[in-house]
Amino acid sequence: MDLLFNILDKTLTGPITTKRDFEFKLVPQITRQILKEYGLEKTFDPSNPVNSDLNLADDFYRAGYELALRLGMFCPDTSRRVIFAEEEIREALRNAPSEIALGYGKDRVTIRSRRPEDRNPPVAEGSSLGMAISEEYFIPLCMAIAQYRVIDIILAPTLDTINRREIRARTPYETIMGMYEARYIKEALARIGRPGMPLHGVEGAPTEYGYFGGFLWGGFDPDRTIGIALIPEPITLPYQILHRVAVNHLLGSPLEAGHMLCIGGYFGSPEGAAVGSIAAQILQAASMFPTLVESTILDARYFGNTGREALWSTSISVQARSRNNKIMNLGITSQVSGPCTEMLLYETAAISIAESVSGIAIEIGTRPAACRYKNYGSALENKFFAEVLKSAAKNLKLPDANEVVKTLLPKYESKLKDPPKGKSFPECTDLKTLQPSREWLEIYEKIWRELEDLGLPRWG
Amino acid sequence: MCRDVEVINKNLNLLKEAILRGDSEAARNAALILSEAEAPVVKIIDEAIRPAMDILGEKYERLEVFLPELVLAGEAAQEALKILLPKGGAQIFKGKIVIGTIYGDIHDIGKNIVSAMLSANGYQIIDLGNDVHPTKFVEVAKTESANIIGISCLLTPSMFYMRDVIQRLIDENIRDKFYIIVGGAAVSPEWAKEIGADGWAKDAERAVELCNILMEKGEKIEKPIIIGEWR
Repeated sequence: MDLLFNILDKTLTGPITTKRDFEFKLVPQITRQILKEYGLEKTFDPSNPVNSDLNLADDFYRAGYELALRLGMFCPDTSRRVIFAEEEIREALRNAPSEIALGYGKDRVTIRSRRPEDRNPPVAEGSSLGMAISEEYFIPLCMAIAQYRVIDIILAPTLDTINRREIRARTPYETIMGMYEARYIKEALARIGRPGMPLHGVEGAPTEYGYFGGFLWGGFDPDRTIGIALIPEPITLPYQILHRVAVNHLLGSPLEAGHMLCIGGYFGSPEGAAVGSIAAQILQAASMFPTLVESTILDARYFGNTGREALWSTSISVQARSRNNKIMNLGITSQVSGPCTEMLLYETAAISIAESVSGIAIEIGTRPAACRYKNYGSALENKFFAEVLKSAAKNLKLPDANEVVKTLLPKYESKLKDPPKGKSFPECTDLKTLQPSREWLEIYEKIWRELEDLGLPRWG
Repeated sequence: MCRDVEVINKNLNLLKEAILRGDSEAARNAALILSEAEAPVVKIIDEAIRPAMDILGEKYERLEVFLPELVLAGEAAQEALKILLPKGGAQIFKGKIVIGTIYGDIHDIGKNIVSAMLSANGYQIIDLGNDVHPTKFVEVAKTESANIIGISCLLTPSMFYMRDVIQRLIDENIRDKFYIIVGGAAVSPEWAKEIGADGWAKDAERAVELCNILMEKGEKIEKPIIIGEWR
């Protein structure tokens, strides 16, 4: 707890700045300076979307480390920067866990740090991350995802009602929702015969209220659940998130510290985003003492990570992080097309391969249609994601991964800004058997055959 | 006369360059000189401000400029427009937009990109930040006599507060005084329709198009206007 007190003290004593100056001056200026000092400008190579130059990845790590030291974080509640001494950062990286086991019985899973081209497959987490779901489909969708044994951990979609009442942020509805999310997902896992499967939550909680509700007794079990503390871009440390950190530390529960940043946003270019995401990983480790760290890169032009620039930035960032510290990195696949489309599987394959071969420890599955449409997520794309993720680890080296992704990209990249919406969960799933529709299964088989032709064997 | 033309042409270029650099002071100075030289406001907008914004929009799509540059350019354009305001009247802005991320949601990069794009395209922006209570949207829109209220949302449990903004306007009998546009990761076109919003756009570029349509012919066309829906 002393470490957390130290962080809280920093939020009260760090240099004063405004949100605006931090976001629009400090972040872009320091990022640009560091890219220049380390000779990393214009290193993005659009013709090779999965980086294979590990020396370049190491240069990016050094630049990201320097950015973490020079920039620090911003606490919007006190308008102060949270700055770290180098020794504090080193200690945080030294103390970061590199392995954790979660869950019970035959569903128990061990997550381990990985390195680029690591033959041990990453842990696959099924989800429709961030997608709103009707109460009636919540349990069926979770059951449908968990029925596939290739999926190791589950993250719920976002309930938008409980007993037909809207879940409103920062109200008791939200507090109650936290508990319902935990109960519903445990009910789904019990029904499908995987009662000990590890959990990740509270997914539907926008504020600390739903989070606290979810971790009350009878909700998410602290020894089985990874908590979620996602800080806003750029590297901002609000008390709302530190509340969650405090709860997880008090409970002794594993914690994911997470941050998403955008190419085109505060850190700028694909190179800036890569450096920024490395700094974000290091700073989250130093400020929240998490079990896992997520440091996702999206492209602000379409808010996904399956385009050429985002794939390259992601690959070099994950390689840099996984080679240079022992933190367990969590990745997210973020697609823009919807279920029951070929594009969704092409997007899923590209990002899963890039993350897996670059050294991600655990990857969260799909976000169809950018999770903008209620109920537009299904189980089959999660199965596909997990199979590709694990097969890529076993069978591909970085240059192979680059070749496969190079072949996949032209099949969909021109449609990233106007992707197909696809079909909703009840439209592409038999709700009685929880099996995918014939149409969806045929698409899945077709894309797997294409991947096999490209040298990626089927998993299992 | 010849000298005036020379001064005007030179400062139109200076203004355009200042906006492209995001240099508010230089933009203000060029606008002052143009104003003193009695350059027509329409000419200044058409030959300096709008072309600069078009260039920036294209550069953003090619990842040659980024959000901070867009914000600074938008501010430079706003500085110039403020100088021109007494001559051109309020109509030199395409419209006034009160914008923010809705209550319970602390994410604002999407809203910031949209704000910057709108600002850069000649809209006057009142940015309320993030985690904004529905009442505040209405109060500020009334105080500022805004044309449009723009509401962003990334998280489903915050989305419901968008409806409260519209309901509040209805309750106060002022719904027809403002166009309501909604967007963000949690917001679908269906949601825009369900809550009675006037428009939804998929991204920042199309948010500008949406506002242009609303300001030019919003009274005459059926709403909501949906731009960029998934097929």
